[in-house]
Amino acid sequence: MKIKLIISMVVLIICSASMLQDKYELLYPNYFPSPVYDFEKNELTTEKIELGRALFYDPILSKDNSISCASCHSPYNAFAHTDHDLSHGIEDKIGIRNAPALFNLAWQTTFMWDGAINHLDMQALAPISSPTEMGEDFKNVVEKIKRKPIYPKLFFQAYGDSLVTGERLLKALSQFQLTLVSAGSKYDGVKKETAEFSDQETAGYITFLKHCNACHREPLFSTYQFKNNGLSIDSSLNDFGKGVITQKAKDSLLFKIPSLRNLSYTYPYMHDGRFRKLKEVINHYTSGIQETATLDVRLKNGISLTENEKVDLLAFLLTLDDKNFVFNPKNKFPKKILLPSEGIMNN
Amino acid sequence: MRNNILIGILLLASGSIRAQEDILFELHFEPLLHNTSLLVENNREEFASYDLTVETLKFYLSSFELYNDGKPVFSTIQNCYLLDLADPDSWKISLTIPEKLSFDQLNFQLGVDSLTNVSGAMGDDLDPVNGMYWTWQSGYINFKLEGTATTCPARNNRFQYHIGGYQAPFESLQTIQLPVNPNSKISITLNLDTIFNEVNLSENYKIMSPSESSTIFSKLLKKAFVIKR
Ligand code: HEC
Ligand code: HEC
Repeated sequence: MKIKLIISMVVLIICSASMLQDKYELLYPNYFPSPVYDFEKNELTTEKIELGRALFYDPILSKDNSISCASCHSPYNAFAHTDHDLSHGIEDKIGIRNAPALFNLAWQTTFMWDGAINHLDMQALAPISSPTEMGEDFKNVVEKIKRKPIYPKLFFQAYGDSLVTGERLLKALSQFQLTLVSAGSKYDGVKKETAEFSDQETAGYITFLKHCNACHREPLFSTYQFKNNGLSIDSSLNDFGKGVITQKAKDSLLFKIPSLRNLSYTYPYMHDGRFRKLKEVINHYTSGIQETATLDVRLKNGISLTENEKVDLLAFLLTLDDKNFVFNPKNKFPKKILLPSEGIMNN
Repeated sequence: MRNNILIGILLLASGSIRAQEDILFELHFEPLLHNTSLLVENNREEFASYDLTVETLKFYLSSFELYNDGKPVFSTIQNCYLLDLADPDSWKISLTIPEKLSFDQLNFQLGVDSLTNVSGAMGDDLDPVNGMYWTWQSGYINFKLEGTATTCPARNNRFQYHIGGYQAPFESLQTIQLPVNPNSKISITLNLDTIFNEVNLSENYKIMSPSESSTIFSKLLKKAFVIKR
């Protein structure tokens, strides 16, 4: 009897402890599809998101404590990187691909340009272990985090005890990244009927729907499928994209379709960062398409656009820039946590 | 009144559960090399004198099932166990089964099923800190075997087999079926000699990703599990 009482008390305490955590509701517009991330296995809470944000900005995740996730995914570039076409890791080592922007990740099922990663939770293992990115052993990362004074408290707040495990670390990183929702551009304003396109933007929208929407489908501006959009092979990289992963000929030169939101912040473009200007991208589609066996049929003879159509299309693409997202203070470096002595006054 | 009935039902229910006693069902696994157990520390030192030694041996076992006359009579809820040479206790797996269960066959899987492979971060034995998850391409390593052999031409004579893959055509999950006597304890040997007798260490000494050779290797592993007599 006594034992039963104690058990039910313990259960009660555990329940109320978990209720103390602040549930976080992911906000997105009603014209977005439902997210595909399974939130039941990793319920969002304010505390876990904060833990994830600290981890995202903490260079402790790299071997020489010099590189954080944000070194390659900067908030001011919609979490892409603009200084380099190919990514730069520890000891100035250069990777083989351009760091993609990070937003609306809850709507994606596969990650990386070639789809090598099958779940957002597992993605962080790739940069942490890659010798050209963070070069660190995951087990060692977990050990380092156990020893850094700020983390036991953050893990306690997030999980109800201060145990640091690989699973918790990965899920917290996912939580922060899942909250990176970009849905505050002028385009979104038009959808929500709080803004209006100019005549030029409207004309550009029509051109976009005709030529680009099949792959860069609104409102996420990608189907997140894998296609060959006719880029020539860079013989210094010989990157065959998805084909390398699946070892199937039909997947050769297929890369993940990137979203067209926030393009002003995310240059250079394409998996190898070969284009620095949007104009160059549009010229690629009109006159640069390379015919290879896996080229998407829609692009067989290139897309023909008049000079006016090109200008209109560009004007439309700029309505997808989301300042509210890029300058959202909630997504920035958490000074208060990572630099407590400096961060008390200003967030 | 209502409450009393409810309590009555609960009591009845717990009574009927008690009538059906569960017993502990233990599976003891043991890796053999040169016909000697690798779990005994002394033996491992003795191996230093051999041409072939094993330093790392880690693998997942899952989905234990018992059959009687070809019909399933017991199965565990999806559960993965990591067996690791560095942790001798991990080689004993305890399940609970109904006391009077008759069975004549034990089935289990070597590796992690495809659903678990695509379900995100997991804890305990499946936590990626265990070093059994590929980082550059998603997926669990089902079976890891590393060591040295004088016949192996690689750097420091090291051979490395990381066997895994959950997607067609390179699946490496294997179901192992063993005829057993209905005891509450069953000992199973993983005979590494069977493996080394069949792989040519001078040519095939490194498998690090899902491929045709990892699928072939996984089929070989299947034969290495035998009931200890
Ligand atoms: C050295 C630069 C670098 C660092 C550090 C880095 N990344 Fe990346 N990130 C990249 C590159 C390059 C890619 C694309 C890789 C590919 O396609 O093969 C990428 C891809 C991603 C993706 C997939 C996005 C998509 O749309 O498919 C996510 C998510 C991501 N990184 C998150 C992180 C997290 C979390 C960290 C910290 C643990 C991190 N990155 C650290 C360069 C980096
Ligand atoms: C057949 C599908 C398809 C069509 C149609 C298509 N794209 Fe793309 N687009 C892609 C793929 C795939 C990539 C990534 C290619 C790579 O990096 O290898 C891409 C990349 C881009 C990028 C680079 C984005 C970044 O972040 O790096 C821009 C900009 C772009 N496309 C604009 C357009 C425009 C504008 C149109 C219409 C004129 C269009 N695309 C039509 C498939 C397509």
